[in-house]
Amino acid sequence: MLVSEHLRKEFKNVVAVDDISFQILPGKIFGLLGPNGAGKTTTIRIILNILKPTSGTVVFNGQNISSNLYNKIGYLPEERGLYKKSRVKDVISYFARLKNLSAKETVEKTAVWLKKLDIPNAAERKIQELSKGNQQKIQFIIAVIHNPELLVLDEPFAGFDPINQQIIRENILNFSKEGKVIILSTHQMETAEKLCDEILLVNKGKEILKGELSSIKKKFGGNFVKVGFKGDPGSISSCNSVRHMDSYNGYAEIQLQDEIPPPQFLREISSKVEISHFSVIEPTLNKIFIDSVKAGGSL
Amino acid sequence: MRKILTVARWEFAEKVKTKSFLISLLLTPAIIIAFTILPALLAGSEGDSTEVVGLIDQSGLFFNNIKAELEQYQIDGYQPAYLLVNFSTTGISLQELKKEADSMVIKGNIEGYLAVSRNGENYKLEYRSMNPGNLKHTKRFEKAFNNARIKFELNSSGLDPEVVGSILSNVDLKEIRLDKSGKENESGFLEIFFTSFIFIMILVLVILTSGGMLIRSVVEEKSNRLIEILVSSCTPEELLTGKILGLSSLALFQLLIWSTFGAALSGYNMIPASAFNNIGPMFIYFILGFLLYTALFVGIGSIVNTEQEAQQVTGYLSLLLLMPVVFAISTIENPDSELVKVLTYIPLTTPAVMLLKLNIKLVPLQELIITVSVLLFSIILIVYITARIFRIGILSYGKAPNVKQLIQWIKEK
Repeated sequence: MLVSEHLRKEFKNVVAVDDISFQILPGKIFGLLGPNGAGKTTTIRIILNILKPTSGTVVFNGQNISSNLYNKIGYLPEERGLYKKSRVKDVISYFARLKNLSAKETVEKTAVWLKKLDIPNAAERKIQELSKGNQQKIQFIIAVIHNPELLVLDEPFAGFDPINQQIIRENILNFSKEGKVIILSTHQMETAEKLCDEILLVNKGKEILKGELSSIKKKFGGNFVKVGFKGDPGSISSCNSVRHMDSYNGYAEIQLQDEIPPPQFLREISSKVEISHFSVIEPTLNKIFIDSVKAGGSL
Repeated sequence: MRKILTVARWEFAEKVKTKSFLISLLLTPAIIIAFTILPALLAGSEGDSTEVVGLIDQSGLFFNNIKAELEQYQIDGYQPAYLLVNFSTTGISLQELKKEADSMVIKGNIEGYLAVSRNGENYKLEYRSMNPGNLKHTKRFEKAFNNARIKFELNSSGLDPEVVGSILSNVDLKEIRLDKSGKENESGFLEIFFTSFIFIMILVLVILTSGGMLIRSVVEEKSNRLIEILVSSCTPEELLTGKILGLSSLALFQLLIWSTFGAALSGYNMIPASAFNNIGPMFIYFILGFLLYTALFVGIGSIVNTEQEAQQVTGYLSLLLLMPVVFAISTIENPDSELVKVLTYIPLTTPAVMLLKLNIKLVPLQELIITVSVLLFSIILIVYITARIFRIGILSYGKAPNVKQLIQWIKEK
């Protein structure tokens, strides 16, 4: 279990992280979300012991975070890059050995992972000869080859095509099944929505929203409906029951006024447009994210 | 410790495969030969063809003697280096002779000519040529004329020509350096040149190439953020030590290859064996100098962000490095001067100065101990400071820090 308490990091003129606390249980995928410059990377660096916090503590499996834990941590940074002119197996081996794998284990696991990620013949090639997607796979392997207990993934899907995104997603889910603690930092809300059990939304260094994804959705999910229709969108949005409406391509996602039950709204609009679809929906994380960040304060 | 070795092994294995290593391995000896041995060889060697040189001497006193003096210079041991042609003709004024000779020079018929004239007691000697700046020629002509003149004057004062010959014979000075055991070592210019100068050149070039590689590797890791994976796998101190260790092994490996060749050449008497007399202490100064500068280079590598910035800083550091080379001549000439004394104890110049001194004079044990201690202390200090800068610098992007920030980094817990 990873416990972070009251993390605070001050740089010269800015407070990058301001009183952030969270707990992650083994087997849970924890989404660290927020816009650019929110303090995600600083938080991650503190967890990884790359940066010392100004105050606050990080404890992993009962131990204060320190260089003793390095071999149990796997990290995939957001900005990718590798030693371009070196051979794939040499690069993987360097990082694996730094995580204290033996030479023998390193060779075995390299082969296993290259196969798992569908690039079994890459070992002898130079990094620069690989496609961008395959280079990213090598970075993923570097992050996980030592079978870390704590896995920190910063934008793990950036740069992957949908097929490879699927492969990476499956592997992340496998790690979660094995009981690893996984932190996933992203601003792709769709990714977070599909993978995370819990989320922490940060902005300007502060916590904005925290908790289980399902309960957060419930909390925000009061009164959303999706309508498929033919006709003038204006005739729907002009209704008093509508608090907010996003329409696209003959569909509209509508947030109703709190006191309006959806069936009543359906009756109200059925006379105005021809309805092909009507459903009650949960708000997307994307919407929660945008609304929360715009609102700026804590909720 | 294991992680330090892993880093060191990686740095060594990756750098040894690079083109820049191969280039430096081949180019360094080439540069050294170009800068040291070649000029010495060129200065000592004759041109390819005999130079035709004229002489205008209306007195007619000197032609034979100058001709005899110039005959000692030969190309390949038999062909004369100079052919002296007498242009003196009685009845024609010096001015007109010169005019005629000038036109021969311009047409390329002769390389140049000497014109002797006399004004009362004083002789005047001119060498007129399209290319009068050749020091080798002019020195010889001057010497030849003066010897001829002295010979003439001594002879005309009534001295026995044999006595005159013996007065004029030149005596060369040979330097003998005594070592502790009283053993004699011939230490000519060439020996000093070979040992000290080449060692300093090697030191400078090895530091430059390895230091450059080191900076480039840190800058690369910074720019592709690999540094973040690295410092979440080992501590910055381990990374720093590993890098220095790896690059030092690389430098030693380079040195080993060169010394093997050097020793082989020494076997063919191309390099004097005495060049290796002080190899022990020289090796120590070499290593310490290397470590000192390498630590500096890593520190700098950690605060710059781009290769261009890195190159700029490397440029300045190289100037620092080259300073002892600038002072090398004056050190050889006077190893006890105040300037050399000061440079001996400035850590950045200590290694190079000591490399020079060791071959010129007997360095007192006390001085050896003090300089080595100064170096060791500075290395520890620089590694300590560098480690503190490194740990923050590697994670800072954007503008390079100013001095005030750097001091803050060093102090930061």
